[in-house]
Amino acid sequence: MHAADFLRHRLGLTGTHVGCEQGVCGMCTIILDGAAIKSCLLLAVQLDGAAVQTVESLAKYDQLNSLQEAFKRRHALQCGFCTPGFLMLATSLKEDGRKLSRQEIREEVSGVLCRCTGYESIILAVEDYLNDDSDGVTAPLEIEE
Amino acid sequence: MSKLSQSLIGSAVPRKEDDRLLRGDGRFTDDVQLAHQLEMAVGRCPFPRASIGAVDISAAQKLDGVRHILTGPEVRALSEPMTVLRPVPGAPNLPYYALAQEQALHEGEPVVSVVATSRAVAEDALDLIEIDYEPLTHVSDTLGALADDACVLHPDELDTNLLSSSENRAGNPERHMAEAEVVVEGRFQVNRVSAVAMEGRGIVAVWRPAARELLVYASTQVPHLLRQQLSESLRLDEGCIRVIASDVGGGFGMKLAIYPEDVLAALHAMALRRPVKWIEDRLEYFRASNQAREAVHDYCIGAQNDGRITAITNLYTTDLGSWNSSFGSAQLSSVVFTGPYKVADATVVRRVALTNKTPIGAYRGYGQPEVNFAREVLIDRLARRLGIDPLDIREKNMLRPEDLPWTTPSGAIYDSGDYRRTLHMAAEAVDYPAHRSALRRPREDGCLTGIGLSSFVERTGYASARFLAGRGSRFGAHESVTLRANRSGSIDLYTGVSTFGQGNETAFAQICAHVLGVDYEMIHIHAGDTAASPLNTGAFASRTLIAAAGAIQEAAQILHDKTLRIAASALETAPGDLEISGRVVRLRQDTGRSIALTDIFSRAIIGQGIPDDETPGMEATSHFEPTDATFSFGTAAAVVSVNPDHGEFTVERFVMAHDCGIAVNPQLVEGQVRGGLVQSLGAALMEDLLYDSDTGQLLNGNMMDYFVPSAADVPQIDLMHTETPSPVTTFGVRGVGEVGTIPYAAAVTNALCDALIDFGVELSRLPITPESVWRALESARVARDAMGNKSSVGP
Repeated sequence: MHAADFLRHRLGLTGTHVGCEQGVCGMCTIILDGAAIKSCLLLAVQLDGAAVQTVESLAKYDQLNSLQEAFKRRHALQCGFCTPGFLMLATSLKEDGRKLSRQEIREEVSGVLCRCTGYESIILAVEDYLNDDSDGVTAPLEIEE
Repeated sequence: MSKLSQSLIGSAVPRKEDDRLLRGDGRFTDDVQLAHQLEMAVGRCPFPRASIGAVDISAAQKLDGVRHILTGPEVRALSEPMTVLRPVPGAPNLPYYALAQEQALHEGEPVVSVVATSRAVAEDALDLIEIDYEPLTHVSDTLGALADDACVLHPDELDTNLLSSSENRAGNPERHMAEAEVVVEGRFQVNRVSAVAMEGRGIVAVWRPAARELLVYASTQVPHLLRQQLSESLRLDEGCIRVIASDVGGGFGMKLAIYPEDVLAALHAMALRRPVKWIEDRLEYFRASNQAREAVHDYCIGAQNDGRITAITNLYTTDLGSWNSSFGSAQLSSVVFTGPYKVADATVVRRVALTNKTPIGAYRGYGQPEVNFAREVLIDRLARRLGIDPLDIREKNMLRPEDLPWTTPSGAIYDSGDYRRTLHMAAEAVDYPAHRSALRRPREDGCLTGIGLSSFVERTGYASARFLAGRGSRFGAHESVTLRANRSGSIDLYTGVSTFGQGNETAFAQICAHVLGVDYEMIHIHAGDTAASPLNTGAFASRTLIAAAGAIQEAAQILHDKTLRIAASALETAPGDLEISGRVVRLRQDTGRSIALTDIFSRAIIGQGIPDDETPGMEATSHFEPTDATFSFGTAAAVVSVNPDHGEFTVERFVMAHDCGIAVNPQLVEGQVRGGLVQSLGAALMEDLLYDSDTGQLLNGNMMDYFVPSAADVPQIDLMHTETPSPVTTFGVRGVGEVGTIPYAAAVTNALCDALIDFGVELSRLPITPESVWRALESARVARDAMGNKSSVGP
């Protein structure tokens, strides 16, 4: 059993999605010991003893975190199936702490596929989030080119 | 209506759908997990065509955990062939069962299905089933299938692989073509691609025999149509079937109508009296879900030397695959083949060919991107032939606002718009004149740059049920909605339109709140459950909002008027003196005097404290059918750089000016257009389902080998809008769901041919790749050498 199936069907954490089961589409991206990883390529037993973050960990009670707010503000999701993958990837980029240019963000997020948005809004949302130093507080809306 | 609520139309309010999806709390089909649930796996034909002999399931039956196995003869006994929602007029339906009978006609066609305690056990059981396949002669090439010596796929129904041939025409194109001062023609090959929704298909079927209820959770764009088709295949009354599509992970036309696995899961569930789940894996997806686009267009334009187009002929062959998919094959090439141009003498002939490949179904654009590629690339060739600028030749031939409404040679009516304005906006945005006046020489990096235009119209929505009836469609042109007020002052909106990313929940709530004058937050959307929505059509053909806006407006108006009548009696005034504002009804002239909506709705719901002549309840259902289709339009421009030595190229800029009428939510519009553009970028430059010409087998049916664009593949895209209200729709909306898919391929192709104009390169086959550009350069070089004209062109 791979880790994504384990999270979904044994733990009931169905926010992590499965799209290809060959490590290409990125729907199943989670954070394992601080690093983004495609959970369909992991065996369930590899989660043993590790710190695992999934999309369910982001919001606090009814409050979306600043990354989720940025996605909402930028219309960075349509059908929402890929969204957990992008959210976890972006979370790991933030934890990594590097300053990224828009082009670098474009490259970094290319490990998750989206068929709805055309990506631009996702890149802008991730950029908002990475540039927001207030840690959890929503950044003011900025319209930029 | 308050100013606030009026401004809801045209406002980028936060989406209703977002919170649950952002928190991982969407309910996609595989998120449904029921007590005592079993899982299904499907055994599929590995050959493009094979006769099916003995099927030995005895070893599989003995495997621990296996609960039920279905084979072809059982399916034939228990069900009817799947019906087609949009059959090809005048052609046999080619109905097929959920499991192959004597023959399977494409790789991936279901042959046997197993239900077990887990998917893993079911798949193990499939390995134990022995099937005597006898591979048969097959044909996979679109035009090859129409050759005299091609093997015939359906000899009982047809003498050849030509399912049908149909023509639309006007005027006298033959005479005008013969009299034209210049004629250009070309053969354009459009690749076979796949929608690749990030969520594949899936279904959970639950049968309660004593209740006679089949409950189905499905990833579908059309819950009510799926219910109809399940009823037809399963011989069940429609009233016994409930389809729920909660969250759907992308559709794009691919999740339109019934599939074999839907029938199979239901049959297993009915036999076992236990829930049965089937979730498509990605390898299955590439072979079993409808594919898209593949077509060959022979396009011919006749013109005068001044560039005026006088005649168009378009003969195209669309590849249907092995069966009629349950929705039907692309038809819209025939509707928009003349594009935004004023051409009165034109003919289009559509031929539908059968091949041993996965059926082709609807996919975003549904024929429009295909013919746009042929026409717009050929118009640039005409411009080059005549030495006229591609912008000028488009401008000269484009319909002007005063020409509209315009009946096209295929009988469609373009409603309104300033097509040339979008042409000028796109050209200006890429600094077209500066590029034209620049010297044509390589940059420092050795690349040449080019600029390309592509103009288009998009047919959005359907004219009417009568229009559809004339084309054999088994669905209507209407949408429907039920609105129901709650004691809390909120409104429930029930719709059969399922949610797969298009933002319908948001746009519907905006319109409802706008008409009622209530707060947007007070609208609850309940979507995609056939037991909790009026019968409708569904979300496809860029039609949803065109039809639904009218239904929501009508139903909201009924609630609005009744609310004011009850409030008027409570406030002892006339309804005309009142308005709904946010959460109260108040006097227009004395806004301090008001009554809460909670009060009005509570009175209505229990029928107490309402005027004697009012009936209890605060609920309305409306069906609305548009009178006409409406046409969106626009122009795209691309700037590319290309290395003339090896064909490597980069799309450096892409702009599009388009008009989708009044935008209910501009953010949703932008999202639809951008998403469509990037899908068509994939189809134009990266995606191609490759079938081996000898074995007939799919070579790249997985995500590793089929290249869906990632963020890193997308160039800068700038969008511009004009907003011409459509005169034929509620609020003046036009459809927007497919518009982005149409112009991309031609704009980039024209830019490449422009960059390589001195090499005489012509590109006619999608996808355009560095290799195909290099091959075109090579063949142009060979042609020049053959003419002994080496000195005049090239480096």
